[in-house]
Amino acid sequence: MTAALEVQVAGICQLTPVVREFTLVPVDGILPSFSCGSHVQVHIEAGGRTLRNAYSLLGDPADRDHYRIAVRLQEASRGGSRFMHEQLSVGDRLRLSPPANLFAPHSRARHHVLIAGGIGITPFLSYIAELQAKGASFELHYAYRAGLTDAYLASLRQRLGERLHGYDSLQGQRLDMGRLLARQKLGTHAYVCGPQSLLDCVREQAAMLGWPQSSLHWEAFAAPEPGAAFSVTLTSNGRQIDVPADSSLLETLEAHDVELPNLCRGGVCGQCATGYSSGEVEHRDSYLAPAERATTLMPCVSRGRCGSALTLNL
Amino acid sequence: MTSDTASHKHSTPVYAEAPSPVPCQQRIMLAQDASHAEVARFVEAMQALQQPVTLVGLTGRAPHAVQQEIVSDRASLGQRLTVLLDDAPLCTRLHVSGDEAFLWHCHALAQAAGLADEQIELIRLGQRRHLYCVHCSCLQEIAEEGEATCQDCGVRLLVREHFSRRLGAYMGVCLDACDPRGEGRP
Repeated sequence: MTAALEVQVAGICQLTPVVREFTLVPVDGILPSFSCGSHVQVHIEAGGRTLRNAYSLLGDPADRDHYRIAVRLQEASRGGSRFMHEQLSVGDRLRLSPPANLFAPHSRARHHVLIAGGIGITPFLSYIAELQAKGASFELHYAYRAGLTDAYLASLRQRLGERLHGYDSLQGQRLDMGRLLARQKLGTHAYVCGPQSLLDCVREQAAMLGWPQSSLHWEAFAAPEPGAAFSVTLTSNGRQIDVPADSSLLETLEAHDVELPNLCRGGVCGQCATGYSSGEVEHRDSYLAPAERATTLMPCVSRGRCGSALTLNL
Repeated sequence: MTSDTASHKHSTPVYAEAPSPVPCQQRIMLAQDASHAEVARFVEAMQALQQPVTLVGLTGRAPHAVQQEIVSDRASLGQRLTVLLDDAPLCTRLHVSGDEAFLWHCHALAQAAGLADEQIELIRLGQRRHLYCVHCSCLQEIAEEGEATCQDCGVRLLVREHFSRRLGAYMGVCLDACDPRGEGRP
């Protein structure tokens, strides 16, 4: 695994009651460059364990003297976003996994449709910097709740003018996804980032219209949701490991020095896919095909169903 | 192409046997010979799906009541396709029928115009195929034979089942390195 980056919090800005932006500078040297759509994993020590939450890098990929991330306070948080909001102060140090990109814009697209829900706006801030610099054709559709999850709205209005289409749920403004997708021309690529309900809506409408799958790109950054405690047995050495209710299987394996390749930690990228030979799995990922689920699970989000013990091919 | 492609392990392409009944906003069919019975069968199946169909033929006319046009040569066909796709809705499906070389020529034009591979269905008619000589880059037509002599450099070629989508051709490699032209040793 690549070595973690050491950074220091250089600035904190409360954008809305639930969204905070952090400016991170390197402790020494410069930061690795990143491509637009990239994210970093922030290693958070909370409640005696290490969480690794993925956050999109905001701003212009050309800036290498600092990174910016924005964090939404999650009500059902396992402690990561709460730590970032309530405990992290200017001057504190953090460890980051280097940038990775699972959500890059398509290089041959003739038109880009960006669809954001709430905090899902974050990857698009770097997109916009790049697309504007290239003079590319694009439009942004941003669904939010005014005064709560509308971070960056004012500055986006100023930068994008008519290319920004805002939908305030408090005013009952709705994005007609079917119409938006139906009017797109050949060569268009759409990118979605936001809550699961938004991804489901886009995927359902796209499937109904017959959108080519290769023209639809999405990213879900949901932290793993807690569930019942369960246990796993490793096939290679018979070791048994208990997974607490509020930890993911991946985090628990890491805490026991079982390292798996991983990038998104949100059930999307497929890197941590692991085989299992027995037990009932509650699959919560957006990656595996139904047929694969009989023998494979994504430990970043999925768990033993109702506390079922699992045997992993590890 | 078709869903069979995924289960097909080699580079040899798998061709469509019927239009896939997936949702779309329009279908365009390019036919090397629009009067071919298979073209009529495909058009009929597409019309049964209640989706708009446009047929562009290089020769012949379809007996069907379908919106159709005939172009004079391959260059005009390419131009017509570019115009049709320029303002096309994203959910457009393209069907191409003809010999293998024609199919992959149109496939390349369609991809350049913005269609994804999964939006293109190829219907192979006839057994003619293209052979590419890896020694002199000559393309020639062959049938089902497994060996051939290069028309250009005269090297005797083994027809490999290695298919190039870019060239729309099978790779031909020297059959016998000790006797490339089959003339025996001097």
